[in-house]
Amino acid sequence: MNKLAYYPGCSLHSTAKELDTSFVGTMAKLDVDLEEIPDWQCCGNSAGHSVSRLLAVALPTNELVKVKQDMKLDAVAAPCAACYSRFQTANHEAEDEAMAADIAEVVGRPYAGGVEVLNLVDIYHDAVGLETLKAKVVRPFAGLRVASYYGCLLTRPPKVTLAEDPEYPEHMDAVVKAIGCTPVDWDAKTDCCGASLALARQDVIDRLVRAIITNARERGAEAVVCACPLCQMNLDSRQVEIKNKDATWVDMPILYLSQMVGRALGVSDRQLGLKKALVDVAGVLPA
Amino acid sequence: MTDTLTGALAARIRSGSGVNPYLCYQCKKCSTGCPVASYADVHPAQVMRAVQLGDEAMSVGSGFIWLCTGCQTCSTRCPQGIDVAGVMDELRIIAHHDDRVPKDAPFASILDINFRSFKRWGRLYELELIVRDMLKRPKTALGYVRLGPKMMARNKIRLLPSFGDRRQMKRMAWLAENIEVGRRADAKAAAAGKTPGASGASAAGGTRESAP
Repeated sequence: MNKLAYYPGCSLHSTAKELDTSFVGTMAKLDVDLEEIPDWQCCGNSAGHSVSRLLAVALPTNELVKVKQDMKLDAVAAPCAACYSRFQTANHEAEDEAMAADIAEVVGRPYAGGVEVLNLVDIYHDAVGLETLKAKVVRPFAGLRVASYYGCLLTRPPKVTLAEDPEYPEHMDAVVKAIGCTPVDWDAKTDCCGASLALARQDVIDRLVRAIITNARERGAEAVVCACPLCQMNLDSRQVEIKNKDATWVDMPILYLSQMVGRALGVSDRQLGLKKALVDVAGVLPA
Repeated sequence: MTDTLTGALAARIRSGSGVNPYLCYQCKKCSTGCPVASYADVHPAQVMRAVQLGDEAMSVGSGFIWLCTGCQTCSTRCPQGIDVAGVMDELRIIAHHDDRVPKDAPFASILDINFRSFKRWGRLYELELIVRDMLKRPKTALGYVRLGPKMMARNKIRLLPSFGDRRQMKRMAWLAENIEVGRRADAKAAAAGKTPGASGASAAGGTRESAP
């Protein structure tokens, strides 16, 4: 696979800019061409499907139609887990005849499926492949123990994501292993971090974040690696508040999978956006 | 006060989301796996039961639907294959439709700002979401005090909006609303006319005392 359509999504243009730059950096090193979908729109995110089921499916479908008909491509990279989930939902709903007719009316063009949607893990694990990835590593990690964190939307619900194992997926572990890290077995891998409540209920998410990071630490992880802008932002930023209330709190670096892979492939620290993290990440990266 | 048991709500949910709520047999797996059940007035299995009984106060009017993170754990684990998270979506949509969105639920307010923002710009303008939320709920600002400057210093938040295809966004939102609002109104009327719905036969015409 040498060329992929690219759907960055809203977060990658703002709070998760480093996911965008690090992802693009790794694709250049891995000889994958990315073509951004022209004039892409918001996928509708969680607000979309809480207000209009139809619009929430029509928005990602509109992008899939552009990929298929205008760009003539068969696969799209969606590094944001929330966008990925909406795109996969669009593919799933396209199979329902009545729903597909409504969607076509809203979009203005019919979509008959046929565009593969790839999340960050899929891209390294399947589209690029572990052997190719390994061969391109120039700066391997020396066994750094990491907890690979999937959160919710990369694997759930499985009838939409078609995930290999929705409760205990392991492809991300295989990717970090390929770049020299040691993945740890842990319990909170697919637990929800509550990021959608980030503004609404900080009391709730502080507890969820605490439980996830504490479990990673107890299982020996030196860093948590994730593939979702909402997870990264939430796990990273809430530690500032948690630490403020609890002086004994020990910081846990939270990295994007693309930053880890990029570091191993020799992408510059600037392009990886390592200084964007609120909890310092430099300490766990090879010099 | 007595409430009449009806299948009307279940019928509306089935029409809007395709989910048959009567498939639920109350194993409560959804509630045990729910990350926020312990913070809410009711848990997901109770919401499902309320839907089966036509109890709108405990479902459409529950605090739970404005705390659900949409993590999909319930839908993944339901032994009956019920898309429980989809039911929560549908309850939020019904709350909008029936003008029953609570004024004091922060998540409801944020979802509303979010929806308007991406419709306006074609893409979600994150800074607008944060600022409008702060203006609407000034107390929230306390939660941003330490984080705000740190994020600004790291250039984490884009100051200006990023534009999507705004014309197509407006067109699609208008078309979707036209199709859905009419259909949902019809479903509501139809459900009210033929109670009980689905398999709610045993509840036909039944009444019960509501909890004090």
